[in-house]
Amino acid sequence: MNYPFWDIPYLGSGWVIGIIAIFHVMISQFAVGGGLYLPLAERKALREARNDWLKELVGYSKFFLVLTGVFGTISGVGIWFAIGLTHPEATSTLIHNFVFGWAIEWVFFMVELSTAAVYYYTWNKIDAKLHLVVGWVYAGASVCTLIIINGILTFMLTPGDTWLGVAGTGHEASKFWNAFFNPTYWPSLLLRSCVCASLAGIWALISASRIDGGKQAALKASLVKWSVKWLVPSFVAMPFLSGWYLLMVPESQRALLTLGIDTMGTGTFSIVTRMALLIVMASATIIVAAYYLAYRNPLDFNPAHAVAILLLALMATGAGEYSREMLRKPFVIGRWMYSNGVRVPYALKIDQTGYLVHSNWVYDANSSYSRGEAIFRGECGSCHTLNGYRPLVTLLSGRDRANIESFITMLHEYKADSPYHHFMPPMVGTKQDVEDLTGFLNAHVNPPAASGQKPVQTAQK
Amino acid sequence: MTTKMIASSVYDWMDERLGLSELAAFARKKTVPVHAQSFWYYWGGITLFLFMLQCFTGVLLLVYYRPGVEAYESVRQITFVMHFGWLIRSAHAWAANLMLFAILVHMFSVFFMKAYRKPRELGWLSGMVLLGLAACFGFSGYLLPMDELSYFATKVGLQIPVAIPWIGPAIANMLRGGPEVTEFTVQRFFALHVVVLPALFIPLLAFHLWLVQRYGNAMPESEEAKPVAERKSMPFMPNFLRKDIAMWIISLNVLALLASVFPWALGKQYDALAPAPMGIHPEWYFMSPFEMLKLLGMVRWLQGEPGEIAGILLFTLGIVLWILIPFYDKNKESGRRARLAHYFGLLAVFALLATTVIGYWTIR
Repeated sequence: MNYPFWDIPYLGSGWVIGIIAIFHVMISQFAVGGGLYLPLAERKALREARNDWLKELVGYSKFFLVLTGVFGTISGVGIWFAIGLTHPEATSTLIHNFVFGWAIEWVFFMVELSTAAVYYYTWNKIDAKLHLVVGWVYAGASVCTLIIINGILTFMLTPGDTWLGVAGTGHEASKFWNAFFNPTYWPSLLLRSCVCASLAGIWALISASRIDGGKQAALKASLVKWSVKWLVPSFVAMPFLSGWYLLMVPESQRALLTLGIDTMGTGTFSIVTRMALLIVMASATIIVAAYYLAYRNPLDFNPAHAVAILLLALMATGAGEYSREMLRKPFVIGRWMYSNGVRVPYALKIDQTGYLVHSNWVYDANSSYSRGEAIFRGECGSCHTLNGYRPLVTLLSGRDRANIESFITMLHEYKADSPYHHFMPPMVGTKQDVEDLTGFLNAHVNPPAASGQKPVQTAQK
Repeated sequence: MTTKMIASSVYDWMDERLGLSELAAFARKKTVPVHAQSFWYYWGGITLFLFMLQCFTGVLLLVYYRPGVEAYESVRQITFVMHFGWLIRSAHAWAANLMLFAILVHMFSVFFMKAYRKPRELGWLSGMVLLGLAACFGFSGYLLPMDELSYFATKVGLQIPVAIPWIGPAIANMLRGGPEVTEFTVQRFFALHVVVLPALFIPLLAFHLWLVQRYGNAMPESEEAKPVAERKSMPFMPNFLRKDIAMWIISLNVLALLASVFPWALGKQYDALAPAPMGIHPEWYFMSPFEMLKLLGMVRWLQGEPGEIAGILLFTLGIVLWILIPFYDKNKESGRRARLAHYFGLLAVFALLATTVIGYWTIR
């Protein structure tokens, strides 16, 4: 363990990444889809001598530049800061394995940002064909960023047996390509490509909806209809691609999806199923809204309709990304690192040496409460808070000390038939660690009536 | 024979017997005003849609729900054992809350648009009765799971009629089926929830809709002041209907979001001998009257029973005035009365919001 987890009370550190990431994904996937939309639309306008389209595309490319170049980059860097602080162990593994992949990614980012700016600022200033070439360069660079980041994201869900064979030996980077082209790489790449195309169409609808249908009926009708067509590949291919993707996910993790069908609980019990329902619902609504409100009645299509479709897309994308994260449970890197940063093969070792030997939280070695607090922050804090998101005080309410201890012991023993086996890592450490964590949680779940023991402030070493 | 030809001949057959083309022609002729406040026209439709969802999910729940001593166990099975039972139950509970919210928005939009004036008085009155019935649906449905929260909330709620002089205790006993909330109470509430209330609600809803169709949508005063030639409108079929359906779909998405992200919880089984859990409070739509009674009870010379009686009287008076508003502010020539009615509406909105916020703020 190199670093302690970033402690975010109430919200939980996971949501810091989640909030930034969902916002970023909406923009970054638009950056890829929109990167194809712009040159294709420009080419069509040039071929058909549609000057009204070209005028509209100038405004659209400005919107595109501001949204992707400002908000996309800020949120992208925000993810870097957040994952480094929130999950240093997993981030460290990714950097050690994919450092050159990331370097290439940043090169493409630079090309992407530069060409997006050149594309907008050279409208009507350079030869039309050259301008179109700039657009294609942007499109190529943005597609490459997707190709690379997809390898890293899918690696975290399914690193593949070859990479797992060398994991922990110091030669992980020698299996770079196996880790990169892992089992879920291709279905995920195609799925994300479809989402990118859909988002390009949806963001373009926002722009097209603002055209006055009364004054520019032909322009509005043609742009709205053409933009709606960008949603078609997604809705034709998505069900099949999603099926393929899920087929590539290990059975044990796929079980999370069926777990929520016949039971309802809080936290991870059924969240993947519930999120899947949201994706289906929101996607179906987008189809209906895009067809009836936009394609069939382009002149009546107004900004309120377009924003409604965008919000639905946000709902579907957010639910999709959340489900993908949840499918990884109980790991942060499939079968290699548990979601609390403990490497799978080290669990037995920690059971013998004790958890705190490897912890960087400062604690009072003579206080069981303080030791328990340090264990809570290390082993539970990546997914739970005490009183906020997935609150342990609420989840354990009604249990007395003995009951809390038997629950933690159950997580410590981590038997294969335990329902928690599907989505929670084991509680690693010695018997004393179990005692200390029990004491800490019990002090919060069943606080003493009078002045209880004051929490000891822990800090980073 | 192509599908189109089959569909056409089926339509012709039905048309000949039911007069569908006349109905379609009528719907195309019917128009809906278009102005800055048109948005409020959709809330009646949203309420109707949510009610239909309630019926659908309610029937599905009815398949497995067992009133009486097994009530809690059957809801536990629905929630944790039946495939997607939790979803149907969550959708039913959330749709009920959304429906009450939509009714309140609809009621206030009708009020401020003065859509209760002649000839729409009966529409207003039937709407008020529908609101009362919807609140009864909420109250009776809340007890059905018989978990700790629903048991104690119902117990507290049934203390309110007890405060009515002379007849109060008898009414409360009749509703409870005895002096305490027991499985007999669930049995009664169940009968009320699935038979009595729908039997009253559905015909009244049909009457309400018929009135809406007969008199059309009312316009705000600013719009009525315009010359007829300057007013805009859209055909009901297909323009308004299409937008109405879009609003229904948005409502369905909001419902799916709530039911999926915040599935309706099931607490512990009730224990009549256990103390009431901390922070027990009524649902949000009953919070305002509950808080008003509580606040009045805090007035020094109204503490205890007099405060409860005064509270009930005051609240009843407010509701009666609200219901009778069409007979006070009768038409656009009402002048001062129209202004007073408007202020009365603003006061009602403020009182409802303020007491609800105070209620939640002071939960212990």
